[in-house]
Amino acid sequence: MTRTNLNRFGTLIAFVLLCVGFSIAAPQAFASPANVFNLVQQMATLAIVATAATLVMTISEFDLSVGFSASLAAVICFVLFGQGYDVWLAVPAALLAGLAGGAANGVLVARFGIPSFVATLALGTILSGFAFGLSGGQSLFQSVPDAFKALARGDVLGIPVLGFWIVGVLGVAAFVLTQTEFGRRLKAIGGNAQAARLAGLPIMRDVIVTFAIAGGLSALAGLLLAARLGSVQHTMGEPLLLPAYAAVFIGTTASPTGAPTVAGTLLGVAITGVMVNGMTIVGVEPFVQKIMTGVIILVAVLLRRVGRAK
Amino acid sequence: MLELRGISRRFGATHALDDVSLALSEGEVLGLVGPNGAGKSTLIKIVAGADQPDAGEILIDGKPVQFHSAHDAYAAGIRVIHQDAPLVPGFDTVENCYLGRHYPRRAGLIDRKAMREAIAEVAADIAPELDLDLPVMFLPPAERQFVRLLRAIADKGRLLILDEPTAALPAEDAERFYEVLRRTRERGTAIVLVSHRLDEIADFCGRAVVIRDGRIVARFGTGEVKPEAMIAAMGGSATERSTRATDTSAPRIIELDGVAAGDLSRAASLHVHAGEVMALYGLAGSGRSSLLNAIWGAIPSTGSMRLEGAAYAPRSPRDAIARGVSCVPADRHRSGLFLDQDLVFNKTLPLLSTYRRARGLPVPDTAAERAEFLVAAERVSLTYRDPQQLARTLSGGNQQKLIFSRWANRHSRVMLLDEPTEGVDVMAKATIKEIIRAIAADGNAVLVSTSDRDEALELGDRIAVFRNGGIVRIFSRAEASAEALSVAAQSREAA
Repeated sequence: MTRTNLNRFGTLIAFVLLCVGFSIAAPQAFASPANVFNLVQQMATLAIVATAATLVMTISEFDLSVGFSASLAAVICFVLFGQGYDVWLAVPAALLAGLAGGAANGVLVARFGIPSFVATLALGTILSGFAFGLSGGQSLFQSVPDAFKALARGDVLGIPVLGFWIVGVLGVAAFVLTQTEFGRRLKAIGGNAQAARLAGLPIMRDVIVTFAIAGGLSALAGLLLAARLGSVQHTMGEPLLLPAYAAVFIGTTASPTGAPTVAGTLLGVAITGVMVNGMTIVGVEPFVQKIMTGVIILVAVLLRRVGRAK
Repeated sequence: MLELRGISRRFGATHALDDVSLALSEGEVLGLVGPNGAGKSTLIKIVAGADQPDAGEILIDGKPVQFHSAHDAYAAGIRVIHQDAPLVPGFDTVENCYLGRHYPRRAGLIDRKAMREAIAEVAADIAPELDLDLPVMFLPPAERQFVRLLRAIADKGRLLILDEPTAALPAEDAERFYEVLRRTRERGTAIVLVSHRLDEIADFCGRAVVIRDGRIVARFGTGEVKPEAMIAAMGGSATERSTRATDTSAPRIIELDGVAAGDLSRAASLHVHAGEVMALYGLAGSGRSSLLNAIWGAIPSTGSMRLEGAAYAPRSPRDAIARGVSCVPADRHRSGLFLDQDLVFNKTLPLLSTYRRARGLPVPDTAAERAEFLVAAERVSLTYRDPQQLARTLSGGNQQKLIFSRWANRHSRVMLLDEPTEGVDVMAKATIKEIIRAIAADGNAVLVSTSDRDEALELGDRIAVFRNGGIVRIFSRAEASAEALSVAAQSREAA
C-alpha cells in the first residue's frame, strides 16, 4: 500500500481494526444487533453537532456555542410543552432560536470582525444563561407529547429512528458541501478569505448563513437528545462540544489536504463512539476510557503529521 | 571560497541538476538566472544543506565538505535569504538578529547591551540609517530586507544567497537595497543573487550564469552581463515596446471623474478607450492599486465612474463582475489563489453560477467546468499535469496564468491587472503580456498597475504616473520615456 493510500484510508482502517478487536474481545456483547442499535442511538446527537462544527470549520472558524445552543433549544421546547403548546409549535420555535443564535454568531464574526473563538464563547455563555433562567435550573420532564418522543425513539424496519436522522442530516450536509455552489464558496472562504472576497464571493452573507445553520443543527441535536431521554437539564448539551471537535479533527486525518469533511467527521464520531462503547463492554474503567479517547485523538493527528511530513 | 564540482541531482527520471560546476571567491557577486523550474531552487537547497546531491562535490576554502543538514551549511557560513523570510514583528532589529543564536549573558541574565553593540557594529558598516530599536513591524519593507541581510551576516555569514530580494520592493527601495548589498560585499562577503529582474543582475553582478533544464547553459564574465544576452540564453527573446498609438476615436469604455479611495487620496480622473491598455505606474502605496480596487468594488470610493456610458458604482467585486469587469489581483498567494484546492476550483469560482446543471439549481456541472477549464488553460498556455492537481503545485508563472484563466471564457469589458508579472519568469512574462494585448485587441479596456517601469513602457498605450496618492501625469506613448517616468514617479516637488 502506498503512503498516500495509507494516509487517506489509515483512519478508516483504524476504525475497522477497532471494531474487529472489540468483536473478538466481546463477540456476544459488542457485535450483537442490540448493541449496534444502541451505538447508533448514542452517536446520533454527537454526529449532528459535529456536522455543525464541520460546516463552521470549513470556513476556518470555530463555533464554541454548539452545546449551549443544543441545551437552550431543548429547554425552550420543554418550557413550551409545560405551558400546553404542542409539538408543531414548540419544535419550530426551538429550532428558530438555534438559527437566530447562530446567525447572531455569524453577524459578530462577519460584520464586526470579532474572532469566532471569542464571539461564540461569549454568545454561547449568554445562551446558557437564558437556558438556566427559562428552566429555573430545574430538570424538565412534564407533559412531553408522545409525538415528540417518537422523533428519537424506536425503529423503522429494525433501523433506529435516530439512524435515519444521521443519514438525513449528514447526507444533506455532505451534498451541500461537495456538490453545491454554497459548499464551494465555503471552501473558498476557509481556504483564503481575502482571495474569496476579491473573487466576488458574498462572504458576509455566507458566513452568517453558515453560523445560522450550525446553530440550527445544534438545536436539532438538542431536541433529539431531549426526545430520547424524555427530560431536559439546562446544561445537557455542554458535554457535546469537545467530542464534536475531536470527531472533526479525527475526520480531517482522512482527507488529503487535512480539510474537514462530513464523511470524515462521521468516521470520527464512529471511532470515538465505538471506543467508549467497546471499552465499557469489555469492562474498562471510565477514567481509563477518557485517557484512551484522548490518546486516540493524539495518535490520529500525529500519524497524519508523520504521513504528511514527506 | 565556494566551489561546486559536477553537482547532479535527480528526482525520479528528471535531472533537476546535471553536472553543475561553479566557483565564487570572497567579495564576489554571482548572478544566477533561469526560468522557473530550471533547477535554481534545487541548487540553492544543495548549497544550503537542505538537500544532498547524488553526485559531485562541494568545496569550501578548497576543502571538500559534506552538508548533511542546513545546520552544517550554516556552520560553514552559508546563509540563504528568502524573499519573505519571516521576522518576528514585535521584536526589534537586534532581537531579530539574535533569533536562534545564543544570547550573550552577564551574571546569568541576557546582556542586551552586548547584543546591541554587536549588531550596531555591523549595521554601521552596511546600513547606518537603520533604526535598530524599533520593532520591525514598524519598518518599511525595504528596511526589513536590511534586517534580513544584517541577521545573515552578523553571525559569521560568509556567503549570502539572495532569492528575489527585491521582488516586493518598488524601484527606489530596490536601489537602496542594492546600495546596502554593495557595502555588504565590500566587507568581503560572497553573494549569489537570484532574480528575475535581469537589469538588476546586469547592474550588480560581476559574473552571471544562466541555468536551464538543470544545466548551466551560459556563463557571463565581467562586462558581459547584459539582459538581452541572458534572455537569449534562457531561450526567450527580448520583448518589444508598445508602439501603438491610442485610437482616440474609439469609445471610452471606462471613465473616472474625481475618484479617491484608499491610498489614492487626491481625486483622480482618467478614461480608457476600447482597445487601449492604460498602464498605472508608481511606487507601492502611490495610489495605483487603490484605483484598481475602487473600480473592482473592493474598497469604498468617492467621485463618479461611468462604464460604457452608464453610471457605475460597484459596492463589491460581485457588482463589478456582473457589469463585465474582471480583475487579476496583486499578490496571488494572499489575494488570488486557493492553494489547497484544485485547478478547476480555482478557475471557475468567480463565475461558478454560470456552470449550473439546471437553471435555478445551484449545483455546478463538473463536466462543464472541466471542459471550460481545458479551453481556458489552452488559451492562457497553462502548463499543468492534471486539472485535479492542487494550485500550490504549480510554478509561480503558471499560478498567475491560472488566475487569468478565470476570465478567459468571457468577454470582459474592463480588465484590471495588478502587478501581473510579479515573481514570474521571463518566458511566462512574455506569455502574460501577449494575453494582455490580446484582451485589449478584442476591443476591451485594460488597466495594468505596475511598479516596473519597463513593463509600463512595454504594455501601456498611455501611462498614468502615480505619486503620493494621486496621478501626477498621464503620458502618451510618444511622450513616455524611462527617464521621464522615473522623474515623474519619484521627484519630491509637486507636479
